[in-house]
Amino acid sequence: MAKNPELTEQNTALAHPKNQQNVSEGIQSLTEKQQHSFAASLIAGEHAAAAELVDRNYLQIYLFMRRLGHSCQVSEDLTQETFLQAWHHIGQLRDGRALDGWLYRIAGNTSKLYWRKHKSRETTNIETLELPDSSITQHHRVEYNEQLSRLKIAIEKLPFKLKEAIVIHYMQHLSIAKAAEAAGIRQGTFKSRLNRALRILRKHVPE
Amino acid sequence: MKEKQLQSALNELAKATEESVRPSLAEDIKQHIPRILNPHRHGIDTINIIIDLRINKLTAAAIIIATMILLANLFGWRDSHGNSIYQDSRILVAYLLRGQTEKSKLLTVKSRYEHLLEKGEQAIYYDYKVNFNNSSAVLLQWKLPDGNYAIITSDLQEKTVSPEELIELLSKMLQEK
Repeated sequence: MAKNPELTEQNTALAHPKNQQNVSEGIQSLTEKQQHSFAASLIAGEHAAAAELVDRNYLQIYLFMRRLGHSCQVSEDLTQETFLQAWHHIGQLRDGRALDGWLYRIAGNTSKLYWRKHKSRETTNIETLELPDSSITQHHRVEYNEQLSRLKIAIEKLPFKLKEAIVIHYMQHLSIAKAAEAAGIRQGTFKSRLNRALRILRKHVPE
Repeated sequence: MKEKQLQSALNELAKATEESVRPSLAEDIKQHIPRILNPHRHGIDTINIIIDLRINKLTAAAIIIATMILLANLFGWRDSHGNSIYQDSRILVAYLLRGQTEKSKLLTVKSRYEHLLEKGEQAIYYDYKVNFNNSSAVLLQWKLPDGNYAIITSDLQEKTVSPEELIELLSKMLQEK
């Protein structure tokens, strides 16, 4: 199978800019060894490890829900539900490296289940903050913000699977391997899903 | 929009959509951590697979019943009294597929059938085989001491018939099928 030209490691590096490491103190910030021992503590049923899992991830899971189009209140509820499900399925956690993917997979399923139960509900816009940037003029900033708004609307209109792929990789900053694990699919399938989503977004957001 | 431009716009959007969350949310979640976090035991894993697949509850129930019937058929899990899980499953399926009036008739006759079995009578209950459009269809039969048979038909009439008459009625039922 031919290598996908659009999603090479170089391109995907854009999804994980180093200046965004401070977004959360998630599991990604732990070394591999620490991740293994953390997962082992969770599997052993240590209460403290469970509490740490919440501390490290609740904000990211909440934002994930918001970016998938849930309202603030629903996102809070679904974040709680995600962790409740995590406690129930703690036995399915195999090793530390899979921790991120495992938690996001539960979160994605929780969100999917919610949309299935509430088909009539529409997605809720997440507020976008205007980011100050001294390097561009006020005029360009207004134009750029408009472009971001269009992009946001285009993401909201994507089918769930494509939206989940975009959000999980570009906005939650999970690597392709972990994001594919979170979506419960092979890396190749995930990349093709991402490509499809990017193609649609490119059409809807002009230069 | 170019590929790289779009990807950096997505990153920008990620930053722009960061928002604060209610500070007590983490504490609320932590309060729901079970006191004992137990990994699944092997025996429960099958049920969890069904739950994970998010199968509709009715579908899951139907699958379980169908599996039970299949297993019962495979292992010949039935007995002469018709009181086995196999019989009960078939009766349950028949009951679920019937209309309300038919269901109540079946229930009435079934309770009579169980009563007869308790008394040690040689009763046969035809449940799902009965066509309710035929008023003379036999729902239940049991042997009387004089060699004749008592029957309850689908219109809930109780009659006494000779063995020959019973054979005739049963063959009519078979022909209808």
